[in-house]
Amino acid sequence: MRRLAKLLLLPCLVVLLMGADNQEARYQNLGGKIMCSCGCAQMLLKCNHVGCPNSDRMIRELRANVQSTGNDEEVLNWFRRKWGVTAVVEPSTHGFELVAWILPVAALGVGLLLVILLVRNWKLRTASVAAADVNLDPELEALRARAHRETEI
Amino acid sequence: MPLLGSFCLKFALALTVYCFAVGIVAVARKDRIGNVLGETARRAGMASFAAVFLAAGALVYAAMTDDFSVAYVMHHSNRALPGPYKFAVLWSGQEGSILFWALLLSGYGFVLRLRHKIDQRLVATASVILAGVQVFFLILANFVANPFGMMDRVVADGAGLNILLQYPEMVIHPPMLYLGYVGVSVPFAFALAALINRYPGEKWIHITRRWTMVAWLFLTFGISLGAHWAYGVLGWGGYWGWDPVENASFFPWITGTAFLHSVMMQEKRGMMKVWNVWLIFITFMLSILGTLLTRAGLVSSVHAFAQSSIGPWFTTLLGIIFAVCLFFYIKNRDHLRSENRLESLVSRESSFLFNNLLLLAAMFAILSGTLFPILSEAVRGYKITVGAPFFNKITIPIGLLLLFLTGVGPLLAWRSTSVGSIRRNFTWPALFAALVGIVLVAFNLPAWLGVGQFDAWLKLLPAWFAAIELAKFYSWLAFVLGAMVIATIASEFLRGGRVLQGKLNTNIAFAMYHLMRRNMRRYGGYVVHLGVVVLIIGVAGLAFNQDHEQEMARGDKLAVGHYVLVGQEYTQDDNANYASDAALLDVYKDGKYLVTLNPELRSYKANGGQTDHKVAIRSTLLEDLYVIYEGKNPDNGHPIIKAFVNPLVSWVWIGVLTITFGTGLALVPNAERVTAQVPRAVPIAAMDDQGMQPAGAGK
Repeated sequence: MRRLAKLLLLPCLVVLLMGADNQEARYQNLGGKIMCSCGCAQMLLKCNHVGCPNSDRMIRELRANVQSTGNDEEVLNWFRRKWGVTAVVEPSTHGFELVAWILPVAALGVGLLLVILLVRNWKLRTASVAAADVNLDPELEALRARAHRETEI
Repeated sequence: MPLLGSFCLKFALALTVYCFAVGIVAVARKDRIGNVLGETARRAGMASFAAVFLAAGALVYAAMTDDFSVAYVMHHSNRALPGPYKFAVLWSGQEGSILFWALLLSGYGFVLRLRHKIDQRLVATASVILAGVQVFFLILANFVANPFGMMDRVVADGAGLNILLQYPEMVIHPPMLYLGYVGVSVPFAFALAALINRYPGEKWIHITRRWTMVAWLFLTFGISLGAHWAYGVLGWGGYWGWDPVENASFFPWITGTAFLHSVMMQEKRGMMKVWNVWLIFITFMLSILGTLLTRAGLVSSVHAFAQSSIGPWFTTLLGIIFAVCLFFYIKNRDHLRSENRLESLVSRESSFLFNNLLLLAAMFAILSGTLFPILSEAVRGYKITVGAPFFNKITIPIGLLLLFLTGVGPLLAWRSTSVGSIRRNFTWPALFAALVGIVLVAFNLPAWLGVGQFDAWLKLLPAWFAAIELAKFYSWLAFVLGAMVIATIASEFLRGGRVLQGKLNTNIAFAMYHLMRRNMRRYGGYVVHLGVVVLIIGVAGLAFNQDHEQEMARGDKLAVGHYVLVGQEYTQDDNANYASDAALLDVYKDGKYLVTLNPELRSYKANGGQTDHKVAIRSTLLEDLYVIYEGKNPDNGHPIIKAFVNPLVSWVWIGVLTITFGTGLALVPNAERVTAQVPRAVPIAAMDDQGMQPAGAGK
């Protein structure tokens, strides 16, 4: 019983900690999806461009948005509206952009399904061919049994 | 010279059209006249190579002699351009690269037609298919993107080569990549020819095995040279940015890799015939798509220097190829029935199946991400950016699964693997992998988990799931799985070596050498797998990259990782080709002087003052110190220096070289087995006649 309680304690702790650091995690996560718009080709939180005219301002905006908005998608849309669609380098997980995320997973799923169907089909065919073989030709079967007996293969 | 080149191009087109049209007639007629016509078509195809070669030579000659009356040379060269780059003008622009495609295709066709005796009917059909593709490229080169167009005015000097292309790798990166792209057309032609002729057996696969491997090798080498170029030239500190054109070169590589694996199922068990045929069709179509993306500028890319309006031509070609493949598949699909079925999910066959599934899923993920901006523009009216974070999230887990399969697959037997065999084969690799994982965590827990102390790690657990921390976990996993694959390969060599050691009565090293010589394909393949592991370990270092940028006046210090850079001198230079600003930076590691680096920023005169970074790199097996001269602060004139510490990058290049070496080994024919002479049995009566006695007589 004590062991079970210990096992349950860890996930609870994780969930509590997740709540405590939620804002920071959201900030880090969103900062990894937004690109600095100064042309340095770096992610916003990674931009250490000397004299960058935009990154400090964008980072302040990101912090403010994370504080004021609970929805990550709204934050990203805010950046798209203000800094252009190319500011966000990762498709969102809502609306039409969700398709970008679904397509690879769906392809893998469909592929897996096809492989399973193919294997199943092969197995069924192998079984039916084996069953048909048994009643094919008694003379051939006798010869096969004799070959098996004599060669011990 | 331009006139000669232009004439040769037209003559090559005429010869290729003859080869194509008469070749079709010859293949359709199965009589003596058909044979005679086929021979003339074959010779015309071979002659077309000479004609295209002369045309390409004429263009190179024009570039080397600064003949700016040729518009293409004027736009892509200048007098001050160094000789090797003048030679590289051939593939530096749209028109030249199409001519180069045609040259390589006719070169491959020449070798194929030369070796027509291996199977005359199959080669004749493949030759017609290659000629069909060649006609397309020669039509483009003659009428749409002619490299011999003349200037309507005299100019003293050319506009210069794109500055990003003025780098040693650029002299060989495009030819390597093109040799790969074009090389895929040979197995494609054979596969289609075998389907058209309802060719029995796996002969087309045996014929094309080496062609496919050579094309795959060129693609691998070409892609890695491109990555090395990006690392040394683009100055962003990395070598792979998931740029659409990088991705485009990756598509045929992925499906080609899948083909090289799945084709073994057809050779060994007569399975997956439909799949293999379509896999090579798709690989060829993806190589055309790669050329389309590079040349047509459908998606924004660092390869913007090659953008043009020839997209519709390539789209049409893709449509035609797909239609032809589909037509012959539907017509002759009954010919592609599998001879055997999968008997167990735990078998070599199923590992190849899942390997193919994962490779194709990776290809589809990258393809959909690359083309998604086009799709979003069509549906929503604006392009949605799909950048590196998306590709990393999708492809890294797939890559790790593939690495797992690389370790597991070779240990599974064909048809079915017993539980005992699994236990026997997997114990040591799994234990070694677990040991490596534990050692990594025990000795460097903070680095692998991304934070300083365990309690801090626990507090930051949610953030650990964010991309950067997950990257470190993936990195650790890559090391663990890599260890498993290495142990698997070592155990395969050792197990086989021990068997031969007993048989040949020799030492283990010599036995392993013999083992390899007896099955170069298999053991060369293992060396390729080893190279892949080394490469992935190099990529795993990405999770630990560090960088810092700052203004540096003379005597200022910049600290990054263990290194401190001290500004010693800032110089300026000016020559006919470019003007440059450079920094001399002393590098110290843990307080000890190491080296002086010299990053440079060049401004090219013929290109309107376009600037380009010459990165200074100090490379060791453990890490690269990568330094860029970013420019000057306009307010105070102080240079701005950016430095990266990139761990394990050297292993990426070592991995590529190992892959190249392994593929080379796999291409070498097996050693002939030495057989002992067995005395012929002679009847005793005959022995008596010859005065001989049976063995043991008289004892």
